[in-house]
Amino acid sequence: MAKTSQAILALAGIDKTYDGAVRPALDRISLTVAPGEFFSILGPSGSGKTTLLRMIAGFERPDVGRVLMDGADITDVPPFRRDVRTVFQSYALFPHMSVLENVAYPLRMAGARKAERLAKARDCLALVSMGDFAARLPHQLSGGQRQRVALARAIVCRPRVLLLDEPLGALDLRLRQQMQHMLVSLQRELGIAFVYVTHDQGEALSMSDRVAVMSEGRIAQLGTPREIYFDPASEFVAQFVGRSNLLPIEGAPHEGSLTALLGGRALPGVMVPRSGPARMAIRFECVRLADAAAPADPTGGEACMLDGTVEDVLFLGNALEVNVRCGDHNIIAAVPTMGGEGFVPGRPVRVLFDPGQATVFHG
Amino acid sequence: MADIASDMSLSATRPLRFLKLSILGWPVYAWFIALVLVPNLLLIGTSFLRTSNGFIVFDPSIASYVRLWKSSSFQFLLLKTLATSFGAAAIGCLIAYPMAYYAARVVQKNRSVLVLLVIIPLWISLLMRVFAWRMILGQNGILNSALVGSGLLDQPSEAFLYTGFSVLLTYTYIAIPFCFIAIFTALEKIPHALIEASQDSGASSWQTFRHVVWPLSRPSVAIGFALAFLMTVGDYVTPSMVGGIDGTMIGMVIASQFGIANNWPYGSAIAVCLMVSVGLILALVLWAGQTKGVLTGDEGARPPVASRRLTSGQRLLRAGAMVLFALPYLFLYAPLAIMVLMSFNDSSVQAFPLSGATLRWYAELAGNQAMLEAVQRSLIVGFCVVLVSGVAATGFAFALHYGRVRRARFFEFALAIPVAIPGVVLGIVMVLATQLAQIPSGVGRIVIGQASFVMPVMLMIILARLRRLDGALLEASMDSGANHWQSFVHVLFPSIRGAIIGGALLGFTLSADDVMVTLFLAGTSPTLPIWVWNQMRFGFTPSVNAIFTLVGVGSLLAILVCNRLIFHAQTRGRSAEG
Repeated sequence: MAKTSQAILALAGIDKTYDGAVRPALDRISLTVAPGEFFSILGPSGSGKTTLLRMIAGFERPDVGRVLMDGADITDVPPFRRDVRTVFQSYALFPHMSVLENVAYPLRMAGARKAERLAKARDCLALVSMGDFAARLPHQLSGGQRQRVALARAIVCRPRVLLLDEPLGALDLRLRQQMQHMLVSLQRELGIAFVYVTHDQGEALSMSDRVAVMSEGRIAQLGTPREIYFDPASEFVAQFVGRSNLLPIEGAPHEGSLTALLGGRALPGVMVPRSGPARMAIRFECVRLADAAAPADPTGGEACMLDGTVEDVLFLGNALEVNVRCGDHNIIAAVPTMGGEGFVPGRPVRVLFDPGQATVFHG
Repeated sequence: MADIASDMSLSATRPLRFLKLSILGWPVYAWFIALVLVPNLLLIGTSFLRTSNGFIVFDPSIASYVRLWKSSSFQFLLLKTLATSFGAAAIGCLIAYPMAYYAARVVQKNRSVLVLLVIIPLWISLLMRVFAWRMILGQNGILNSALVGSGLLDQPSEAFLYTGFSVLLTYTYIAIPFCFIAIFTALEKIPHALIEASQDSGASSWQTFRHVVWPLSRPSVAIGFALAFLMTVGDYVTPSMVGGIDGTMIGMVIASQFGIANNWPYGSAIAVCLMVSVGLILALVLWAGQTKGVLTGDEGARPPVASRRLTSGQRLLRAGAMVLFALPYLFLYAPLAIMVLMSFNDSSVQAFPLSGATLRWYAELAGNQAMLEAVQRSLIVGFCVVLVSGVAATGFAFALHYGRVRRARFFEFALAIPVAIPGVVLGIVMVLATQLAQIPSGVGRIVIGQASFVMPVMLMIILARLRRLDGALLEASMDSGANHWQSFVHVLFPSIRGAIIGGALLGFTLSADDVMVTLFLAGTSPTLPIWVWNQMRFGFTPSVNAIFTLVGVGSLLAILVCNRLIFHAQTRGRSAEG
């Protein structure tokens, strides 16, 4: 985690409530971004992530709290004097200017001479492979091309922080994957800190150095993609990132120690901190299926075992999602397509998982 | 930029084979030929004839043009007319731009009310508005009595009324709402993200305005300017009421050639000259206003974010802006308010202080047989005009939208030509056409003349609504097993009904209010505005105030209903799209 002293951007205790709103849009947000870091803000719509981005850009002011850049307080600095650029969700290209004029616009505002700014804008367009489109007007471009022009306009001045507001939201899957690769390599090349807002967990996990997961105006968890994925700090994060089974369990004394019970059956090895109702999250891909008649301990450390019957199966291409009915509960397992042909509805199966990969939440 | 809407509509809705009969296109061609093409050709033709002893001689000649060429007074008058209208439109835009900016991008609440308040005077009788100014500026008028009363002047000044200035002032008054609507629509459409992108790029507020907001609104400023210019340049009502000798405009000369002077070829020639110079100026203005690029509306104008604690200085600035914003409203409404007030004033002199409340001017009206007849005639004319125009406009809109007309774009514009002809010229054009068809003056003539400009207005409203409809609606209806006729009855008509009714009410107010065209066609059977106009030429009684107050209240009610219908239809359409 980056220390505050070397942070390029720091938010300290930001609160924001819109006029007429009951719930705060942002609630005690604090975070830091290191120079050259790829930082993602992940959350469902309405979680306050765009508000947070707009606050960094200077379009919103916090009710409480400070925005610091390189240690200097920029809370009251207007957007046009901040060394921060934004790639807008709608791209916001000026419709009456050519691609080149759009990209040169920030340089023009900075008072650069015409020859210089056009040269720089051309270089920048080449960087995003849009050099051949310099003379076009925005409405003559496709979505992906507009996206790249918007990106070029944002980086042409080499800001120290670049904000991206769901920039890939409007693109189709293939284009989105291409752009992801381009963004990552561009970020490495330029050394600009990216603050990337998205509701797509795949994007956030694949590109980022660190991710802040937001929920209802608060940061639910802040950490590396690995931490977020494998060690969710809350039920919300477990559900929002990746795909998890969430099962109601009961912590109760069983055979002398505190044990987790699912529908009355013991789950040995699952750590429950105290007795009483709780919930256990286990990812789809951490659940394994075996024949109902399989021996108790085949290979791994899968100490937990439940018997059930297959209810339905979804074919996902590289994997199958098998929905298994175990007593009163359903558990979904993601199994490789190869070798999963035998799982058909109505077949009795045994559900296995490693208790170390389960996370228990109280409250 | 000027054709944002048309480009979008082309891509948004696929022209679908609606009815197999291309016969549906014939009425469009017929209307165009009978009410646009032939009348205008007649005007041009007539201008090449000459008169002898008050009768037209069918003998091609350029005598009228030679006379115009030699007449320096005509050239001066044409120049003065164009300059006055140009000036009024320019001042109107200057006043309307900050107003529209404030209403579209600063105000957050009750925006539609603010807009409606600017538009309302547009739909209140032109005669009434001009008359109100006469009351204010006249020698015994409000302004003089106030100035004398406060001791600023020793005696009433004659400088206010019957000058070029009074015409300019009244034209500006007429121009403001047109400029406002056009500019407001453009400013409201600019996505907020563009402003933020500009700020984000390091542009100050002024730079953002200069490089982003202004270029994007410029085409609409040109349109607002053009509208205002058109409305005033062919106006002979205003100059003859407030202009006097110094304020004579070319419209009055044209009108008199078809009236007292009775020299139709000469009047036609002047009208042709006016039309040509107006066309040139408008082309120039629209050319100067164009901006390249197409606004792709992927995101509407998000309301600007306020909720910012203001310093006392900013608060003062904001209060100042609000006061400045309110001033044009005062300018728009003060004359109307004074007129209403005077209609209850117990004195035949239009001056302050008021001498007590009375209803006698209203009582006087109730016993006026000629006026009641005129009212009745206005209602009949209005009804007929709306009926004819409504049926035609609905049919034409479907024919144009669903590709049943060849060169639909051309005909859409061609049918709208009468709206773009200066009022006085349209009046004489319709006289020539109805004369040729030997339709006697009176109700029949008036209906045809008014339908020529009411129909295109209704057509535009209905077409706009049709274009906003989801193209898949018709497909969905046919997919559900409805044939063309059933689809029309159950799906298409209900979704444009609001626009038709709204257009009809607007058409009715336009018809009931018209002087410019009707005056030439009415003969001895005046509609209400014509009757009032005749009264005012022989001096007036305060009962004129009472009529206007009643007419004003009437048109206000009609406007409110029709605005509700159009606006309601729009919001419903939008929510369906969004």
